[in-house]
Amino acid sequence: MGLVTEKLPIFLEPVPGGSVLLASMDKLINWARLNSLWPLTFGTSCCAIEVMMATGAPKHDIARFGAEVARPSPRQADVLVIAGTIVKRMAPTLRTLYEQMAEPRYVIATGSCAISGGPFVYGSYSTVRGADEIIPVDVYVPGCPPRPEGYFYGLLTLQKMIREGETLRHPGVRRKPVLAELPPGITMEDIRRDLVHLLEKEARVDLREAENATAESTERLLRSGNSSSLIRSTRD
Amino acid sequence: METQVLSSAVLAIDSKAQLRDKTDRLTVTIPVEALFTFLSKLNTDSSLAFDMLCAHTAIDWIAEQRFEMVYELYSTTHSHAMRVTTSVPRENTVVPSVSSLWRIAEWQEREVYDMFGILYENHPDLRRVLLDDGWQGFPLRKDYKDDYLLERPE
Ligand code: SF4
Repeated sequence: MGLVTEKLPIFLEPVPGGSVLLASMDKLINWARLNSLWPLTFGTSCCAIEVMMATGAPKHDIARFGAEVARPSPRQADVLVIAGTIVKRMAPTLRTLYEQMAEPRYVIATGSCAISGGPFVYGSYSTVRGADEIIPVDVYVPGCPPRPEGYFYGLLTLQKMIREGETLRHPGVRRKPVLAELPPGITMEDIRRDLVHLLEKEARVDLREAENATAESTERLLRSGNSSSLIRSTRD
Repeated sequence: METQVLSSAVLAIDSKAQLRDKTDRLTVTIPVEALFTFLSKLNTDSSLAFDMLCAHTAIDWIAEQRFEMVYELYSTTHSHAMRVTTSVPRENTVVPSVSSLWRIAEWQEREVYDMFGILYENHPDLRRVLLDDGWQGFPLRKDYKDDYLLERPE
């Protein structure tokens, strides 16, 4: 690969039509790469159950995305999936594993532990606060633990990043995907307002209103002439 | 053995042993001076035969300035379980090692030393087991602090 990625662009660039050829070769290489991402599973705690076992099992079946060939050896893996808490004693090992992986290598951090330290961010003497303190991370998948669907979304995001990258001319550089566009007619303000409304509605219980609601429903039951035992039970 | 019979048999070993109430299993407190002889009787007496130390840990009662040592015992021959506790002051944390009675205590005591800084008398190899050898302090003590630890903001 070294010959192709380092020497070839320099020769091809000045040739008429060379850049077009480079671009189509990029596409081919990216296509091959993104459809066979072999994960190195680095499951250190509870997230590993969700991300390594549940996604691999037939119900969710990670093989649909070509990423089912989990390798225990870093030399055969493309993407390092950090699933779980990273403690100080584990940090040097994680760094070594990352260094041992062949280029191009990608990192997905799943779960709040691998993103920021998660539940252990305060008052823990041993937890590393985020895998990105040790190695560069490409995709973060939030959750504690993330659903398998969440992990798939992270995987697809990584595939998108690979698809948009320029493999030959800038082999190390990966373009981060932009956020999905909002539907027409909806602004970020609207979403924020809705969220605030929802949160306030959930948080506040108006006792008077709640009482009236039950009284009303009892009345309605009385009026509709339901069996008396039901009415008695609601009143009790 | 029935719990009633077991508790009277255990209490008969040493007059300093005290029964604790409101516990989920038979629990006996004993002063630290009498701990080792008491535990070795529990281990060797054929009608008690506590041949397994399931767990050993410590509790840091910082308000009372003491550590409570907890031994969870089980007998594989008679299928009965009990718990023995003892207290040591925080400024002098020396406890007799029970690794001569149960081999597994060797590692369990190393872990308790690692986390609480309890010193075990006659332990064959008292080193840290989980943390780095150069670690300063004992992290499960309630007053443990280091530069890395974040306090939860109010
Ligand atoms: S993020 Fe949650 S589920 Fe995942 S390893 Fe941390 S504590 Fe476990």
